[in-house]
Amino acid sequence: MKQRHKIYGATLAAVVGLSVAAAAQAQEKTFKIYGFGAKSGVVGIFGQQSEVAMQAAAAIINKSGGVTLGDGSKAKLVVEYLDDRCNAEEGINSLRRIASQNDAVVAIGPTCSNVAEPVFGVLQKKVGDASDSGLQFPLYTDVAAKGGLASMSQWAFRNVPSEANMYKALFEWVKATHPEYQSFWGGVEKDFAHSNATYNVIKTQAGNNGLQVLGQSEWLLNDINFSNQVREMKRANADVVAISSHPFTTCGVLKEMARQNVKPKLIVGLTSSSSMETLQGCGAQAEGLLIPTSFAPVTEEAKNAAAAVQALNSKYNMDLHNAAAFENVFTLKELVEKQKVMGRPDTVQADRQKMRDGLAALKQTTGLLGKVGRTDDREAIKPFLFVQAKGGNWTVAHTPAQ
Amino acid sequence: MDSLYFLDLSQSVIDGVLFGAIYALIGIGFTLIFGVMHKINLAYAAASIGAAYLSLLVVNVFPAPAVYLVAALAGGALGWLIYLVCFRFLPLDNPMATLMSTLGMLLAIEELISHITRGMPQNFPALFASTNIEVGPYFLRGDLMFVFALGCVAMVGLLQLLKRSRLGLATRAVAEQAVAAQLCGMSVNNTNASTFVIAGFLGGTAGAMAGAAIGVLSPLMALPLTVKGLVVTVIGGLGSIPGAIVAGLLVGACENFFQFVRGVGERDIYVMLMLFVFLVFRPGGLFAAPGGRD
Repeated sequence: MKQRHKIYGATLAAVVGLSVAAAAQAQEKTFKIYGFGAKSGVVGIFGQQSEVAMQAAAAIINKSGGVTLGDGSKAKLVVEYLDDRCNAEEGINSLRRIASQNDAVVAIGPTCSNVAEPVFGVLQKKVGDASDSGLQFPLYTDVAAKGGLASMSQWAFRNVPSEANMYKALFEWVKATHPEYQSFWGGVEKDFAHSNATYNVIKTQAGNNGLQVLGQSEWLLNDINFSNQVREMKRANADVVAISSHPFTTCGVLKEMARQNVKPKLIVGLTSSSSMETLQGCGAQAEGLLIPTSFAPVTEEAKNAAAAVQALNSKYNMDLHNAAAFENVFTLKELVEKQKVMGRPDTVQADRQKMRDGLAALKQTTGLLGKVGRTDDREAIKPFLFVQAKGGNWTVAHTPAQ
Repeated sequence: MDSLYFLDLSQSVIDGVLFGAIYALIGIGFTLIFGVMHKINLAYAAASIGAAYLSLLVVNVFPAPAVYLVAALAGGALGWLIYLVCFRFLPLDNPMATLMSTLGMLLAIEELISHITRGMPQNFPALFASTNIEVGPYFLRGDLMFVFALGCVAMVGLLQLLKRSRLGLATRAVAEQAVAAQLCGMSVNNTNASTFVIAGFLGGTAGAMAGAAIGVLSPLMALPLTVKGLVVTVIGGLGSIPGAIVAGLLVGACENFFQFVRGVGERDIYVMLMLFVFLVFRPGGLFAAPGGRD
């Protein structure tokens, strides 16, 4: 009898305990920040890294108590990241899926420039235009680097560096430190929006800084034979060669240059190639490759952020691509509190408007390398520096005055 | 157009011919399987790249030549797996069945590689990478010469296997008259599986050669090699191994030629036009193989 009472008592205690825990769980509020980008496919690393960076930022914020909503309550920040495979249709689908959620007030993404352009295209162009049935959903882009995209919609905001500014500064520095460099030859991945658009910037800045542009070699993202292109480079014998392409073809070209003994005095790369992929694929051949970038672990904040990402998942690291995603989460957290976002299903459209208005009103945000200015056309003025591949690592070559 | 232009043009064609040896190896694999089963294995080039990736597992353990051997063995294993999954239990009289299964396998292999490597290019060891042979004003890449020689050896070896071995006899018998071959006591399934394994050996070698020629491996390589392999197979003649060799070299040469004279934007247009010309005027290809009866 006593034994039976003990069992009943223990069972009752367990049931009560579980109920209390469940109630506590149900009471814990969450505020979701969505993200979308390439999590699979050949550029899947971009989205995977962005997701981990966002989760690392959320973990830091949650450790400090989470985000304060408009009604004064605290909520735990949660990240949900959708995969668009660097595909325009998938990107638009991802955005529409996010926008259909009643807990979605803002999203970070996409990662690919060729996705950002069509995705921004489905947003309402001008806020308050009743004749425009475009999506009214604020996007805060972290990676898609093609210039001027945010001007497509007043709901689109970007936290990406200005490649025009970066390459301008880079070639000015090259001119100042190496006035003996006279000629320039370009190499460009013609069928990828980012590399193609950035090459035009590179070529222009090279020419503006006294380098004679002798010509360019072209290839496609899927190419596997670069002998013709590198032979053109060899014939040109330029002092400076720029390679505006992503890691796979950058490595293919660099290895072909090594085979054909093409050794320019300086090789300049695309911002996206200042990552581990390039060093993993062709570290030896990339020696000396100079690239402007908006991230390097040179400040305490940057080092801590990089450590936070590694602590969350040691397979990933922090680079210029996901550093922006990390920054974005903190910016959005501050905006949620400043704009008194309620985070309720019945206030979702009002919250989206508040986030948009908050982003539009920003004059400055806090970045990992320093203050980030905001422009009237919703772009960012980010601090940057130049990194150079040395001994299998990216080292800081120069930090220009900004 | 000065002499330098023609020098570069001819060097470009020579490089293309040498690079075309990789296309030829891929084409041999496609044509070998078609010759036996009268089916296209769309996953062949992807499996070749997959085999090259698998060989990277031993790159820090064994010297570089062993990596190529491992790639060949891995290719053989993948070839057998593809036969088992995409052909063995599928209704072969349905023309779409194996086409769709191998297309699915191509996408699956590509996706698996992207997932495991997170899309990051992988350094691949090259043989004779720093060897350049100078013949007058021309440079012949040592690694591509090796691939070319390997392709020739593979062709000779394959032809000898088909003509002089019992397996080759069985392969030819099954290709020509599967029912009669079965009545003669030959196992059609075992013969087909063996063909896939042999083609896989070649494919693994081709994948490793492609990785070595470029210097890096990437999942981006699977689709262009598949397309080039199919073009080579059609131009060479479905089922013709010598045709695949000649067509591979021809496609490589033409690719570089058109790129030199018309640029990268139009290069593939002309290569596809060349394919259409063959399809219209010589649909059997350069060396059309005699057809078999079912």
